[in-house]
Amino acid sequence: MTGAVMMKGPVMNPVHGLARRGFLTSAASGTGLMALAHQLAGAAPVANPLSPKPSHAAPKAKACICIYLEGGPSQIDLFDPKPKLNELHGQKLPESLTKNVRFAFIQKEGARVLGSPRTFARHGGCGMELSDLLPYLSRHADDIALVRSMHTEAFNHHPGQLLMNTGAPVFGRPSMGSWLNYGLGSPSRDLPGYVVLSSGRGTSGGTSNWGSGFLPSTYQGVLFRNQGDPVLNLSNPPGVDADIQEATIRALSSLGAGQYKHLGDPEIASRVESYELAFRMQASAPELIDLSREDKRTIERYGLDRKEPAIKASRGGGPGQFRSFATNCLLARRLVERGVRFVNLFHASWDHHSNLDNELTHNCQMADQPVAALLDDLKARGMLDSTLVLWLSEFGRTPLGENRGGSSNVTGRDHHPFAFSIWMAGGGIKGGQVLGKTDEIGWSILEDPVHVNDLHATILHLFGMDHLRLTYRFQGRDFRLTDVGGKVVNKLLA
Amino acid sequence: MTTLILAMLAAGADAVPLDSAVAKVLQTNCVACHRQGKAKGGLRLDTSEGLAKGGNSGPAIVPGKSSESRLMRAVSGTDSELSMPPKPRKSLSGQEAGILASWIDKGARWNDSTRLVASGQEAEPTKPHWAFQPVKRPKVPGDAVSLAAIDAFLRQRLASEGLSPSPEADRPTLLRRVWLDLTGLPPTLEEIRLYEGDQAQGAYERMVDRAMDSPHFGERWARHWLDLARYADSDGYEKDTARPNAFRYRDWVIEAFNANMPFDRFALEQLAGDMIPGSGPSQRQATGFHRNTLTNKEGGVDQEQFRVEAVVDRVNTTARVFLGLTLGCSQCHDHKYDPFSQREYYEMFAFFNSDAEIDLPVGQGPEHAVWQKAMDAHAAKVGQTEDRLKTLKASGDAKAVAAAEKDLAALKKSAPKPPVMPTLARGPERPTHVMIRGDFLRKGTIVSAGTPAVLPPLNTGAQPTRLDLARWLTGPENPLTSRVIVNWFWSKLFGRGIVATLEDFGTQGEAPSHPELLDWLAHSYRLDGWDTKRFLKRLMVSAAYRQSSAWRADLGEKDPYNRLVGRQSRLRLEAEAVRDVCLAASGLLSRKVGGPSVRPPQPAGISELTYANSAKWVESKGEDRHRRGLYTWFQRTSPYPMLMTFDAPDANVCVMRRERSTTPLQALTLLNDPVFFECAVSLGAILKAESGSDASRLRQGMLRSTGRPPSLDEEATLAAFLTTARAKLAGKDDAEAGAWTVVARLLLNLESVPVRE
Repeated sequence: MTGAVMMKGPVMNPVHGLARRGFLTSAASGTGLMALAHQLAGAAPVANPLSPKPSHAAPKAKACICIYLEGGPSQIDLFDPKPKLNELHGQKLPESLTKNVRFAFIQKEGARVLGSPRTFARHGGCGMELSDLLPYLSRHADDIALVRSMHTEAFNHHPGQLLMNTGAPVFGRPSMGSWLNYGLGSPSRDLPGYVVLSSGRGTSGGTSNWGSGFLPSTYQGVLFRNQGDPVLNLSNPPGVDADIQEATIRALSSLGAGQYKHLGDPEIASRVESYELAFRMQASAPELIDLSREDKRTIERYGLDRKEPAIKASRGGGPGQFRSFATNCLLARRLVERGVRFVNLFHASWDHHSNLDNELTHNCQMADQPVAALLDDLKARGMLDSTLVLWLSEFGRTPLGENRGGSSNVTGRDHHPFAFSIWMAGGGIKGGQVLGKTDEIGWSILEDPVHVNDLHATILHLFGMDHLRLTYRFQGRDFRLTDVGGKVVNKLLA
Repeated sequence: MTTLILAMLAAGADAVPLDSAVAKVLQTNCVACHRQGKAKGGLRLDTSEGLAKGGNSGPAIVPGKSSESRLMRAVSGTDSELSMPPKPRKSLSGQEAGILASWIDKGARWNDSTRLVASGQEAEPTKPHWAFQPVKRPKVPGDAVSLAAIDAFLRQRLASEGLSPSPEADRPTLLRRVWLDLTGLPPTLEEIRLYEGDQAQGAYERMVDRAMDSPHFGERWARHWLDLARYADSDGYEKDTARPNAFRYRDWVIEAFNANMPFDRFALEQLAGDMIPGSGPSQRQATGFHRNTLTNKEGGVDQEQFRVEAVVDRVNTTARVFLGLTLGCSQCHDHKYDPFSQREYYEMFAFFNSDAEIDLPVGQGPEHAVWQKAMDAHAAKVGQTEDRLKTLKASGDAKAVAAAEKDLAALKKSAPKPPVMPTLARGPERPTHVMIRGDFLRKGTIVSAGTPAVLPPLNTGAQPTRLDLARWLTGPENPLTSRVIVNWFWSKLFGRGIVATLEDFGTQGEAPSHPELLDWLAHSYRLDGWDTKRFLKRLMVSAAYRQSSAWRADLGEKDPYNRLVGRQSRLRLEAEAVRDVCLAASGLLSRKVGGPSVRPPQPAGISELTYANSAKWVESKGEDRHRRGLYTWFQRTSPYPMLMTFDAPDANVCVMRRERSTTPLQALTLLNDPVFFECAVSLGAILKAESGSDASRLRQGMLRSTGRPPSLDEEATLAAFLTTARAKLAGKDDAEAGAWTVVARLLLNLESVPVRE
């Protein structure tokens, strides 16, 4: 396997030049050779499943950036202050609270309340109480709606992640981003409508968190990678340069057009068009991840070049995450700018069964600044009003310390599905509010419970979609993102 | 009131009619949903017997104590979990509730045999849903002989719409169609020569027979079946642990198809291979069908929850695959559309609830021999170490003895594990409860194994088993299994089912386009002893199957989805076949059949998506890099990207019908994925090495990739492209090889390569 086309060595970027010449791209009109052939043949244009479609009602949000902190960040240490826990530190909880509860790891006998060393202060005009671990985000108190009354049924990671991302704690359902692209299409002509950016180690759910389930794979999340090609197989093979690629696509379009004329199957046209879109993507994806034209201040604000403190953490994702997480936040803005409908950021390492103080501090140092910078950036560009930003996880953490295996060295918390916190901003969300209230130890919800299905109903509503009407028939049933539940939470709407 | 009660008492204890006021309350508010044929929550309130029996959650009333009666809690609106009647129906008035309460307080007397009918209720539908009616052999239209029956049914319908069928496709198209459909591979060069050389009558039938006799037939149909069996090589969920022995079930399916095992036997062995009298290892292996359910080994999970989920999946899959029913809809409540109650769901559940997952040692055979050899070697090593220890002990060197003892312990632990096969077998008896709202923690009434009442009875003893269930499924009375299966086979050869919703033959499914043809096929299949190859051949020799797939304006307008089969369907191949076709065209394909899953080259960063990067992808070597797609290791939380890009199912639930999408990622895969580029390099080398003119070599390339020669226009475009490629690569090392690689890459990306015409 030697020869001109298998030469080793640096591969030249094949498509930079092409984009400038505009061959085949005409991104604005989206007209490729195939479409031209099509029009010449007098045939109706083939429906692209990702063409923008009207929503049920006027939308507030046009795009969504969903920041998913996998593992269950401790709401007690970040968003929902519970000074009572310090008073009760080391004590047992009344049996009435824990009697019917199943824990992942806590052994009920001997479980004790764990206080929090965090300090909380009021921020913004609204006086939202936030933890000292979130100094940057705290400046955005008036932009975000903090929900302290989330609840879920799932108390294990993968089912919990599936529920939060797909609306049901089972495999095989389409994720939020898939539903939105299925319902609304995507304004982006040169990039997929649903992009996934991941940093750190893999999540429990792997690709099932951004799969399209029973929807066609057109709607699945496309993982942009932080090594190699940003999109799988984006670069041409070694030795196939831009000119050859151009000639190849040209020849394929022309041969496809002939075949289409001969057989008349609209599938032929749509397959040839998929090659043309792939070709345009080869130009636009490298441009997307090329940050050289971002100004220095922006790079600084997002904290791409921050020094990453060393930490000894068993569940950390290894070094380099500060940079990759910050880069992903910046890429999220660039993707939305380019018309991508749904951007999913994943970061796995928030499952603090032990060593919570050190690791949560480390993770917050990583995430706080770039997430806040993203909100700033969107706001400055006038994009926040139409971009919904979410901070989500599958559940929260227990007020009880974790005593796995009867351990007396308690430094972390177990999974807590009954009451946890998430926040939302932009895209038609009424910022500067705290929704919901939990009891004095954060065990149960006292006011305004929000189920995951309710959250999804609300998200769809912001996009002008009625969650009861966005359905897909599969195996005899009309499925929806909200499964069999879901109520729009009106208090969250601007 | 007093008079009434006196009257009731006077009527005697044997038959106490219901108080008319109470009857009216029940008829107005309750009976519409709690009656014969629609016992919501398992509760009937239309007869005294039903009332006495109670529902899934237990007794409805406690005679004499209205305050302790579930019925009163439900209608009083005090319990948010249990509020009856459900919205939007009106709640009971205070007066109505009072009537019920005082009736209960007085003992709730009612034991006559009348049956209440809901006020305003429509007459019960008299004719059951078509799919629940027995399969009858319909008369074939016209005077056709049975071989042409399929065409007789189809043409009658086409004619009634004023349409005509399409002409027969040309020979090269038919050849490729048959081989792709039956083996998932394009015809070999040898087969092309054989078929070209056979111009005698019956050449087509002989060609079909050759494809059916190919060992690749089993691979092709096994892959279809594995979609139903939700086959994967890992557990799923967070830990997603490897299942290195899962492939044995796949091997079993391949062999069963190749041996043309009758379908009733095929079903029986998979569902109850452990219970068939005189069953051997092969039958036990078949039960691997229901070992493909997910396993959750995440820390801190409730094992019972996921055991129940696996049983739920077994019930739902069995119902979908063999009955075409969405029985799973009645896991949490009565089926909304079809006549299945939640209670009946758990009666089906009871067939599978006492099963245990058992890994059995594989029987005598080559694999066992390999293990035995390793075991012998290991035993010898243990023996040597023991001898050494003995000598050391005699020498009295305490330090050396300790070291040798440690060695020995480690050695004993590292004994090679015997090869095992995953099977399902009966375990200790477990009681089955109705699970209220499908929640395994909320146990309702106990039920025993049984099949849905709307289908023919089981006709077995009091304690029917999984074996009885399996026999019942393919029994002569069962109206569903044969229809569902022939429809599934049909869809693979025509691109769409006679019932388009392959997985739903219930009232929400699509009605059959040709009900009589469906029944004729179902009946014939059973009559032929469930002979699958014979059945497939019956379809493939029909004129309908042999039609051209070319688009026709008249059909496109009147029948855009080709329901009437006025032409063949042009189908994008399944993910695995896309890979196989390119490997075959480029001469790289390994034709090895069966064995463990392999790991062909996969881009970096994919396995890393699994939980904490736990699933390592160690590339296979040698011919295992180029095995067919069905042998690619399937890791549920990070499936092989090429497969997913081309719509392979995620192997978490049973899928009877794959999606066919078109995306730019598919284009990028075929253009740039290292595996496909390797194909281009290989095909390029083959073409370069061919003797003859450029034109004849291009022609060869086109034949290899698409199975047909280029048209004049195509020839010109290809030649021009070759010229361009040569010009662009001129002056580079090995420019000619490069040019042919680039041409081969183009040829493998032609629109019709991953297509069955």
